[in-house]
Amino acid sequence: MDFLGIPRNNRRMPASAEPPILLEARALSFSRQDEPVFGPVDFALRAGEIALVEGDNGSGKTTLLRVLTGMLRAGEGEVLLDGLRFSLDTMAGAVVFLGHHLGLKFDLSARENLRVSAGLYGLRADADADAALADTGLAGFEDEPVRRLSAGQKKRAALARLLILPARVWLLDEPYANLDRDGIALVNRLLDDHANRGGAALVTSHGAVSFAGGEPRRIRLHA
Amino acid sequence: MTPGSTPAACAALLRRDLTLAWRRRGDIAMPVLYALIVATLFPFALGPEPQLLARIAGGVVFVTVLLAVLLSLDQLFRADIDDGSMEQLMLAPQPLALLVGMKILAHWITSALPLIVVAPLLAGMLKLPAAALPALVMALGIATPLLSLLGAVLVALTAGSRRSGMLLALMLLPLCVPVVIFAAGAVAAAQEGLPWIAPIAWLGAGLVMAVVLAPLACAAALRIAMDT
Repeated sequence: MDFLGIPRNNRRMPASAEPPILLEARALSFSRQDEPVFGPVDFALRAGEIALVEGDNGSGKTTLLRVLTGMLRAGEGEVLLDGLRFSLDTMAGAVVFLGHHLGLKFDLSARENLRVSAGLYGLRADADADAALADTGLAGFEDEPVRRLSAGQKKRAALARLLILPARVWLLDEPYANLDRDGIALVNRLLDDHANRGGAALVTSHGAVSFAGGEPRRIRLHA
Repeated sequence: MTPGSTPAACAALLRRDLTLAWRRRGDIAMPVLYALIVATLFPFALGPEPQLLARIAGGVVFVTVLLAVLLSLDQLFRADIDDGSMEQLMLAPQPLALLVGMKILAHWITSALPLIVVAPLLAGMLKLPAAALPALVMALGIATPLLSLLGAVLVALTAGSRRSGMLLALMLLPLCVPVVIFAAGAVAAAQEGLPWIAPIAWLGAGLVMAVVLAPLACAAALRIAMDT
């Protein structure tokens, strides 16, 4: 495990007052049947920081994210959320996870799916489901069953969830998959807004990504 | 209700599952149709003597309804696991056990409740004396949620494996037996004019215990199933 690029904070924050660490991994590693999948990994994600997890296929990017959500038990090391060891019971909606499976019900419309998410996770103070759908380019498709949307539109419907949930830490697994050029720009804009609001995000990708706010931090996993 | 509060989360999930079930109404009709067919076939197979039918009616209705409920049980968590909704439920701020409980409730409403509604009709087709009807409906009303809860634990335990149907059936059999004995016992007692509240009370005690423990066991089993 090494960092390519110095861990830095490229947001508009004075260097003297380091923003608080939201998510921290200490010597985190994971093995499946004694076969090491990744690690040990060390990193700290501060408020307003976006980090990119890089690695080849099979290097354990998705596994790392699932360990960070608490769904997979880490083999060694620990994960701290706001400086506290966490489990699925204590994280209380602070983390939102978007994986390969989008967590959308295909028989429900995008709006209904958002309503379910909002009911489960709560609604951000200034959030509005319809505005979020318009923002992600789904205006006019709000009441269409998700089943009838294209793969890219399904992804957008899942991304709309990020716009309304109050979670401070985003764990996005391949958020750029299936998206067109506009969609990629949309993800970058969402990440940028999130960072400016003081949130943090961990993004996996094997493609080149550029953020408006400058080069993101990179966390590299070796296969 | 504030979004994100526990009641709002329960309501949102219950509403989601009921809406999904309503969008696939044909699937709800399946168990009812199945029960109707089975209850129709019995008089043809055994002969139409009212005394014989009346004697077996209670048992037949029970076994039919319980099997019909089990038909759909296998799918309880499968869709949610496949489309990633289960991950979203696990990461939600509410206790997973509570959310799983809501899913079981939704399953009971969509699969067992229609069967309880048609049960008097099935009993009528099999010449069950009208005096035994209250016992039948009450026993079903308690036995079906009990079975849904017990079944849900086993479904959660086998959720990790793809072909869980056979295993599920094998594991569920011993759990079904006491439920059927008490429920059919209550109806038989009512048919003979005996007090029938005692077996119902036993079922009720089982239900209370299952309501408390089954969602917790389900949540723990699902966490293990997702931990792969």
